[in-house]
Formats: sequence, C-alpha cells, structure tokens
Amino acid sequence: MPKRQKQRRIIDTDIHERVTYSDLLPYLDNPWRRYIEDNHWVQEKHMPYTQPTVAGVDRADAVTPDGGAAGTDLRFMQEQLLDAEGHEYGILSGALDPSPSSMHGWYEMGAALASAYNDWQIENWLEKDSRLYGSVHIAAQDPQQAVREIERVGPHPKMVQILLPIDTRSWGDPYYHPIYEAAERHNLSIGMHHNEPPTHFGGWPRYFIEWHTMLPTAHMIEVSNMVFNGVFDKFPGLHLIMIEGGFTHVPHLMKKMDQQYKELRHEIPWVKRMPSRIIQDHVRFTTQPVEELSQREFMQFVDQMGSEDMICFATDYPHWDYDSPLQALPKLDAALEEKIYSENARAAYPKLPRPTGGAK
Amino acid sequence: MREVVCHKEDIHPGKMRSATLGKIPVVVCRTKDGEFYAFANRCLHQGAPLSEGVLCGDTKRTDIHGNYEYIKDGEILRCPWHALEYDIKNDGAMLAEPDKKLRSFQVTIEDDQVVVYK
Repeated sequence: MPKRQKQRRIIDTDIHERVTYSDLLPYLDNPWRRYIEDNHWVQEKHMPYTQPTVAGVDRADAVTPDGGAAGTDLRFMQEQLLDAEGHEYGILSGALDPSPSSMHGWYEMGAALASAYNDWQIENWLEKDSRLYGSVHIAAQDPQQAVREIERVGPHPKMVQILLPIDTRSWGDPYYHPIYEAAERHNLSIGMHHNEPPTHFGGWPRYFIEWHTMLPTAHMIEVSNMVFNGVFDKFPGLHLIMIEGGFTHVPHLMKKMDQQYKELRHEIPWVKRMPSRIIQDHVRFTTQPVEELSQREFMQFVDQMGSEDMICFATDYPHWDYDSPLQALPKLDAALEEKIYSENARAAYPKLPRPTGGAK
Repeated sequence: MREVVCHKEDIHPGKMRSATLGKIPVVVCRTKDGEFYAFANRCLHQGAPLSEGVLCGDTKRTDIHGNYEYIKDGEILRCPWHALEYDIKNDGAMLAEPDKKLRSFQVTIEDDQVVVYK
C-alpha cells in the first residue's frame, strides 16, 4: 500500500532496471546476437571486490519473487518501490554494466547493445508503466553513431536523458560535442552515472569501502572537465544530472573552481562565466548515497551551493545503499522539500510532464 | 601628495617598477605605446607586490574551444604569486572580477620625470 502519511510528490532520479542477456537477445541483430549465443560473449568487468554487502550490490529484499536478480521484474519494482513509496515519476538509469560507452574496445558491439537495450527498455518498462521515464544508452566512442541512436530513440516521449558513464574518459572534449548538440535538439538532458573505475588516480583502491567513499571524486572530475572545456558555454540549453555522487562535495568544487578561474582563466577563454554560476545554471546533483545529516548540516551545504535548485532526490533502487524517500533526508521546510523531492528534477528534465492538481 | 619616481626613460615600454607615494607602495607601469599608469603595489587577493609580477597580455574571449588570440600585450599586470590579472588601461580592473579594481594614482611626465600624485 502507498504510504499515505506524506502527500509528497516524488520524482526519483535514479532507479536501476536490469537486463539479462537472454532478455536482450530478441532485440539484437546478427552478427551481434550470435556472438552471445554461440560464443558466450560477455562484457568486460574489472571491479576486483567480492561485494561486502548482504546481496552483492543489491538490497537483499529486492530479489524478485521467482528468485531473479534485483531490478529485473517490473511488477515487483512497482510493488516494492513505485506503489509503496508513491512515486510520481522515476527515471531509469540502467544496469547494463559496464555500459556501452565504457567498453574499451569493439565499439560496434557496444552500439548494437545500446540499440537493443533502448528497444528493450522502451517496450518492457517505459511503455508498461506511466510513471517510468528512460535514458538513451549510446556507444559514445563513435559520436556520429551515437548521434544516430539519439535521433532514432531520443524522440520517444518517455526518453528524457542520454546516459553517459563516468569511467576512464572525461566528457568535455569537443570530440563528444555532437552528442550534446543532439541532446539539445531533442530536449534530452545528459545523465552521468559512475561505472568502473570511479577514480582516475591510483587505480583501484584496495577495498570496496575506499572505492565507494571516493565516488564523488569521479563526479568532480567530470563536472570540472565539462565546465572548463566550455560545454555549457557552447550549449546554453544543456542540462547535466550527476547521478549517485551525492551533493556534499559540490560546495567545495564550486569554491575551488571559482578560485582557479580567477587565477587561471586566460587558459580557457571560451569559458565566460564564473564556474560556480555555470554549475548553478546547468548541473544538478542527486542525493543518494546521502550521508546522515541534521537539518542544520543539510542547510549548510545548500547555503554554500548558493541555490536551492541543484539537489534532486534519488533512491538508487534496488541497490544496497538505497535511500528511503521518508527516512534518508532530515526534515526540511516545505518549499525546499518540494524542490528536492520533485521540482528540481522536473526542471532538469524538460520532457517530464508539468505538475497537475493541487500542488503548484 | 606628489612623488617623483624616476626619469621616464628609466621605465622602458612594457616594463614597470616599484616606488612609494608617501607611505604607500605603488607600481608604475609603462605600456608598449609609452603611456604610464600607477597603482597600489599590492594584489587585492593576498597582498603580493605586483611589481614583482609581469606585464603581459590576455587571451581574447571566444566561442570556439581551443582558439587562442593574444591581445592587450603589455597591458595586463599579472600578480607574481597567484597570477591574478589586472587591466591597467581599464582602471586596474581584475580580469576575472571586473568590479574589483586596484587603487590607481595619477601619473604625469614633468621635465621628463615620472611623477605620481595622490
């Protein structure tokens, strides 16, 4: 049953649906399908850790009723998340891991997987639950091919963002600008979610706790890279959503980038505004995995960000570090809660429907 | 208050030197077109002596990533510490934050002497 104690609109900016290769095969053309069927091809994975949580990276109670992997069953997701928490909308952010854009070779296979994944996502999730909105998966290593995929599925009314992995590649380079051009053309936001590995320096940390602690550093690298390479000066309508890095690193990043801009701006004459202003205008940060914060502590971060419009709520369902919409954040004033739980996300995803009914 | 700094040929175009105006440390800059400008010799950031920095140029604002065009050569006073930049022909305005300006002083040439006034 939905939780009635709070009539809060929730737009959840990070929900992981999951595909299995057998589910994906019907959407793959040959020769790609045969490489999986005949050659048992699987995507490269690098993470060295045996997952130290109860059920790998998933909530132990999110295993589907028939024993399937968490996130593979729409009906169970509806029951456990969308209905139970009363979601208005949820943004699917995929679990094709590693994503096509972080495949370190054979980009043609990546592009084929991305197309198959998009078709599977539309048919099995987006068109089966009015609350779910989706992410266009692409193999961005070949930007022209990626743009063709965006042109193909981006116009779908329930595709709201293009998903890029945070991995060994940073996305500010003009090589990738055709992707941002296509995003603007189709009113799609850019969503970034970390993948493998999350840090550029030092390689893999020895322990999972280190890897997970330092996730925000990878998010910081991407934001810095995109701002200083002038992405938002070139694409003034672009929205960027940084998913699953939290937000408490953001005040530091904004302050540091501004100071560096004051001292070193001559190196990047294509950046014409203070970095903090660019971030305030273009970048949104999802809450999860949020630290335990008192209201006072939470508001200190908001104050230092200089904006109430930059933080968007996310659960990260069905992963082990899920954040509950009712429990994860401290009590905030009503206007700010409305922004964080729904309206900031609505503004960040122009294709999401505007609110109807009583709430403004 | 008035202070004779030096003979005008002691500061070549594109160079600068430190001086004092009463108790105020100043930096006298000469742009490449021969004009003289004087400012408080103290960076607005952390107080570094600007006369130890350099007179250089700026990179022109552009819409094209990777496009560099060097402009205002010899008109930008760059701090020796953190490299903050001041436009000496624009009233000493900081390039990154133009609403911040160095304190400036009037300079005249009298009998070939550089004279700074407060």
